[in-house]
Amino acid sequence: MVNARVLAGLAVGDFRDRVRRPAYAVTLLAAIGLGYLAVPNVNSTWVIMDVGGNRGVYNSAYVGVVTALAGALWLTFGGFSVVRSGIARDETSRVGQILAATPLRTSGYLFAKFLSNLLVLASMTGVLAVTALVMQLARGENRSVDPVALVEPFVLLSLPLMALTAAAAILFETVPLLRAGFGNVVWFVLALVISVGGQSGSAPFGGLGVHQVAQSLNAAMGNQHLQSAAGGFSLGLTKVSKPLGTFLWDGFDPSGGFVLGRVVLVLLACAVALLPTLWFGRFDPARAAGSLVPAKAAADGEPAPAAADPFGTAGPEPAPAATWSTAPGELPQTAPTRAGAFGRLLVGEVRILLQGVSPWWWAVAGALTVAGFALPMETVTGMLLPGVWLWPVLIWSRLGSQQVENGLEVLLGAYPSARRRLLAEWASGLVLTAVMGVAPLVRMLVAGDGPGVVCWFGGVLVIPSLAMSLGVLSRTHRVFQAIYLPIWYILVNNVAALDFMGAVRVNGKPVGPSPLLIMALSAAMLAVVFLVGSARRNVKG
Amino acid sequence: MLELIDITKVYKGGKRAVDGMTMHLNPGMLGLLGPNGAGKSSLMRIVSTVTKPTSGQVRYEGTDVVANPDRLRRELGYLPQDFGVYPNLTSREFLSYLAAAKGLSARSARARIDELIQLVNLTEAVKRPLGKYSGGMLRRVGIAQALLADPKVIVVDEPTAGLDPEERVRFRNLLSDLAADRVVMLSTHIVSDVESVASDIAVVAQGRLLRRGAPDELLREIDGQVWEVMVAPAEVPAVQARHVVSRMVRTANGVRLRLLAPVPPTQDAVRVSPDLEDAYLGIIHRPAERTPAEQQAMRW
Repeated sequence: MVNARVLAGLAVGDFRDRVRRPAYAVTLLAAIGLGYLAVPNVNSTWVIMDVGGNRGVYNSAYVGVVTALAGALWLTFGGFSVVRSGIARDETSRVGQILAATPLRTSGYLFAKFLSNLLVLASMTGVLAVTALVMQLARGENRSVDPVALVEPFVLLSLPLMALTAAAAILFETVPLLRAGFGNVVWFVLALVISVGGQSGSAPFGGLGVHQVAQSLNAAMGNQHLQSAAGGFSLGLTKVSKPLGTFLWDGFDPSGGFVLGRVVLVLLACAVALLPTLWFGRFDPARAAGSLVPAKAAADGEPAPAAADPFGTAGPEPAPAATWSTAPGELPQTAPTRAGAFGRLLVGEVRILLQGVSPWWWAVAGALTVAGFALPMETVTGMLLPGVWLWPVLIWSRLGSQQVENGLEVLLGAYPSARRRLLAEWASGLVLTAVMGVAPLVRMLVAGDGPGVVCWFGGVLVIPSLAMSLGVLSRTHRVFQAIYLPIWYILVNNVAALDFMGAVRVNGKPVGPSPLLIMALSAAMLAVVFLVGSARRNVKG
Repeated sequence: MLELIDITKVYKGGKRAVDGMTMHLNPGMLGLLGPNGAGKSSLMRIVSTVTKPTSGQVRYEGTDVVANPDRLRRELGYLPQDFGVYPNLTSREFLSYLAAAKGLSARSARARIDELIQLVNLTEAVKRPLGKYSGGMLRRVGIAQALLADPKVIVVDEPTAGLDPEERVRFRNLLSDLAADRVVMLSTHIVSDVESVASDIAVVAQGRLLRRGAPDELLREIDGQVWEVMVAPAEVPAVQARHVVSRMVRTANGVRLRLLAPVPPTQDAVRVSPDLEDAYLGIIHRPAERTPAEQQAMRW
């Protein structure tokens, strides 16, 4: 019999396991950074929320609402990656099979996983609320703390969205096609739609709740006889021409209908989380269309550990292989000789990086390359280049973490030349990036686009360096996916400050950061890779 | 050839996994026996340069391998207790990568991989991705990788887990062959894994080396202290409380127990020849060498 205590026990146990993982800390730090960005210095021209050229005075109500909205948007993207591996982890650790043999019902298991996801996201939201309080006091425009006004937006605006995100993670994990990295991309697009569409006044159940907040903010401005500049209300990191003006806003009074809409969103999330009860296989390899883990590898190359399995429980029996003989004299006779092996090491790393990539992936990569030679030059630099440097995102994300995620850390820990292997792994990412971008490079060389070519080299260096450093630091592939996709999205929205590849152009010339800066950043990230690798070897165990 | 000098490993939280262990190893096979949690795997990881000791030295042919691990790594074959593989690579691709990581030339790597795949009889499965291998087959891949660079030092940690009885025997024979001119360190808690092949046995518990010697020496220590008695089922708990019982068989006439005792435990007790399992239990449970707290911790 499953009761609330059992569900809570399962959810809390799972929650504890997750928050002790490095990926949680990385996402949490990013959330704190976002809390900082949400309440910028009074003279800053980078803003998260712009109410027609104005912002609220930094009191509890305004700081609470701006941080809650920014956090909700970030955690919908980044938080999803953190929480989406709960069921797969139960499969790889075989805890799932133990649970499947208990009276715990499938619905109870899924609901506990949903609660655990929600706890993880809610804990991050809690940290954001504390960050908001700290920022209110630090900015010092209004140091009078109103706890209800500060926390209310996190409860009413952030938590329903977190519940939806937590439920979507459960749903995605139980659908074979969405289980792996492809699901991350689908969620990224879906979350974009929710983020943009959810701000509309006609969004179902109040959407993100932004519309009601914006109405209240505009009303406050009207009462203070302030004009709203063109553009009205915007949410998201943007650069403005001059620091925003200020007005006083004391929060909004949520109507009964608004609160009901938020409750309905949470109930909808519960229903979405429980929906997979209809098809979830309870970790039975015979019922699954392929267990969660091998499916991941096949779909798009997320790592799928195939550890030496003393229990022999990892799915269908493999074809039998003859046992082996060790009669005297059968030991290898060839004496090993040593020679420079970096080339073969690089080939091995490329093979590892590309393992399990489907023919469809290659077909699209080929089509992009052909298009790179056929399309007009402006399209190639402005659209195709960002496209070819998005397509391998799931493969790049393996860099730096594939050894850990495949359970090879101890075995390779006894192998020589750890730095050489790290370098080869990074170089494999560099090769992939360069090959994907070869068509735009050739076109720019032919067109004599020197600045574009230099920017291209910056991109070739920075992408694998970012992937390696995030992989080595977080020991998971998800952090790169969670960080690279938003950077890429901002870049293709013509924000030159994040254009590391030379795609944002004015009069045909790249206007992003200097390629030298990008290269220096790449070198710094590579240095982090080696330093962290070395530090880990020194303290290992 | 390989020296472990006063090795101590203390993990975060203060757990002392290895406590001042000193050993000198020459070519031949050392069987490291101990209960679960004795510190065997920690010691194996230290010897394999995967983990750094908190204090102490590991010296290989005079080189301090804690400071300069690559000196040993080039001549080391290590098979950890648990290891993963890249599931979409074939065994040949996986071994080629590891050979390159060891710095082997292309020609010798190719030849040795062919020989090793033949040795562990994976020729028929060589084109299959590792993700489709069984636990025993993956263990054989692990054995092959450990022998890639013709190592002078071989460290194998609980190597027979996942192998069927026939494979287990053959693997032990392979290690025995290898030990002719190499240092082989085999860690296990299964006494039968070492009794037929190890010329040298070290018994460890709670991070300490309790005894080291040839199997005959260990057996001599317990000679005359192993008995078989027949008791009624109701008396078994009392006997177990007084003696270390190594085997127990229920029969129609009662329960036949094999136990350790310095003097005959009952009037009708029959003295029997000790085997290595008796010697191991005798060392592990010998009261004179353990503090009361340790004795309590060792009871099971």
